[in-house]
Amino acid sequence: MQFLTYILCQTGKNLRQTWGAQVMTLLTVTLSVLIFAFFFLIYTNMLRASAQLGDDVRLIVYLDQEVTEQMRPVLETRIRDFGPVEKIVFVSRAEAFARLSAQMGKEKDVLNDLGPDFLPPSLEVYPLKNLNDLSKINQFSDFLQTLPYVTKVQSGLDWLQRFGYFTSLLRIVVLLSGSLLIISMTFIVSYTLRLTVLSRQGELEILRLLGASSAYIRLPLLLEGMLQGVLGSSLGLAALYILYQWIVSRFSGPGFLKLFEFTFFPFELTAAILLAGIVLCTVGSLFSIRRFIRI
Amino acid sequence: MPRDASTDKPLVELVNITKIYPPDIVALEDVSLRIYKGEILFLTGMSGAGKTTLIKLLFCLETPTRGLIEIAGRDLFRLSPVGIQQMRQKIGVAYQDFRLLDKQTVFQNIAMAMEVTYASAKEIRVRVGELLDLLNLASKRNKPVGELSRGEQQRVALARAAANRPTLLLADEPTGNLDQTTTELVINLFRRLNEEDGSTIVVATHDESIYAKTEHRVVELHNGQLAAHLEQTPRQVELF
Repeated sequence: MQFLTYILCQTGKNLRQTWGAQVMTLLTVTLSVLIFAFFFLIYTNMLRASAQLGDDVRLIVYLDQEVTEQMRPVLETRIRDFGPVEKIVFVSRAEAFARLSAQMGKEKDVLNDLGPDFLPPSLEVYPLKNLNDLSKINQFSDFLQTLPYVTKVQSGLDWLQRFGYFTSLLRIVVLLSGSLLIISMTFIVSYTLRLTVLSRQGELEILRLLGASSAYIRLPLLLEGMLQGVLGSSLGLAALYILYQWIVSRFSGPGFLKLFEFTFFPFELTAAILLAGIVLCTVGSLFSIRRFIRI
Repeated sequence: MPRDASTDKPLVELVNITKIYPPDIVALEDVSLRIYKGEILFLTGMSGAGKTTLIKLLFCLETPTRGLIEIAGRDLFRLSPVGIQQMRQKIGVAYQDFRLLDKQTVFQNIAMAMEVTYASAKEIRVRVGELLDLLNLASKRNKPVGELSRGEQQRVALARAAANRPTLLLADEPTGNLDQTTTELVINLFRRLNEEDGSTIVVATHDESIYAKTEHRVVELHNGQLAAHLEQTPRQVELF
């Protein structure tokens, strides 16, 4: 207990003696965590959205005439022979018109002059959910194009591809901001601790002569780094949560965020980021202790 | 505390100690000396005689070029870092240059020695108060050391050395900046430490007034060599 009291007192003394540098370090750590966690939050949401989109992939095959009852099994067999599908839905002109009417809601009157036959019949092919490779879906699309009566195959793959590219780009940003986080946290904490050591050089020397243990001298410095990690990471994550709430409230109307569920990190991931921050700051302080303290 | 050399084991034993500073400055040459537990020993000699070097060697601040130093039967220079740290907690040193923290108060400077041994706040308060009274520094308790006179700083350094009731107290020129009255306070502190706590005390000094009439042993260093080894006979003394 006495030991702990002394270590905490020494840590407090260190923080007081270099408070200016400590505040700057805290801000840097907070900002680093905020930048990294912000991009990581977007990335994880994009990944989830990407998975959702992948699940919803369907290929719409527009036909130039209605498929007869005799033709249905033939088409189904040819499609299933090419690749496994979850289901195939035949949509007649009348069904397509009914769907569109339903989607138009109160404005369906605009369709009155067009008549129920103006939409083409179609086939909706739902590939198996595990077929999430875009190139394979592309091949599937090309195959469907070769079927009889087919005028056009619409897959929405272009959009999915662009979404995939964006996610990849975001992954790079996350990796870069992660590296920035590692470098800035370890470097700045190590540098601040160096200032503490230099400002207390005389005192540390006297403590050594008085027989202070290695723990007595080193632990407060280690604790100082850990505290920077705890406070900096907590503040960074708290700032991100406030930003997240603002985004959700600001963009909660119809639009991009309506398409996907934009969620915050689960507890485990939040704890992992906090822990990573603490570990990085502690490593930074260890660097300084090993380099500048000789006992 | 009287000692009986025939039965006592030496607390400190120096065997053929030589210390040469680069390039070839001989600070100590072939010095052998035994210091017994509970003894007060005066190490005298002119400036540059090797007194400070000897004190530094006893505290592991320097390593000898040749020879062996044992404290309580343990080779000083084979101690592990933890061993040195533990040994330093039992040895109080009052340095010639004081080595105090100017911005810290008198109380903080003295308390520091006890804090590293994890003494309780109450123990520290009591002990530091006692030492401040003994050395007539009570009124300076909360003053930064940097604002004190040299003589006051010297007493703070002595109080810090005595704070842990050390087994061995090494004082390097402890009265160099003191007048007769405060010198007596310091001598009184040594006597109390020796008699009440059984501390062994080594005083390196060239101030003849503090050892001239002592009943304790006086060892003289001359150009790094042991010049005289005087066993004083008990007699009426003014200071001791």
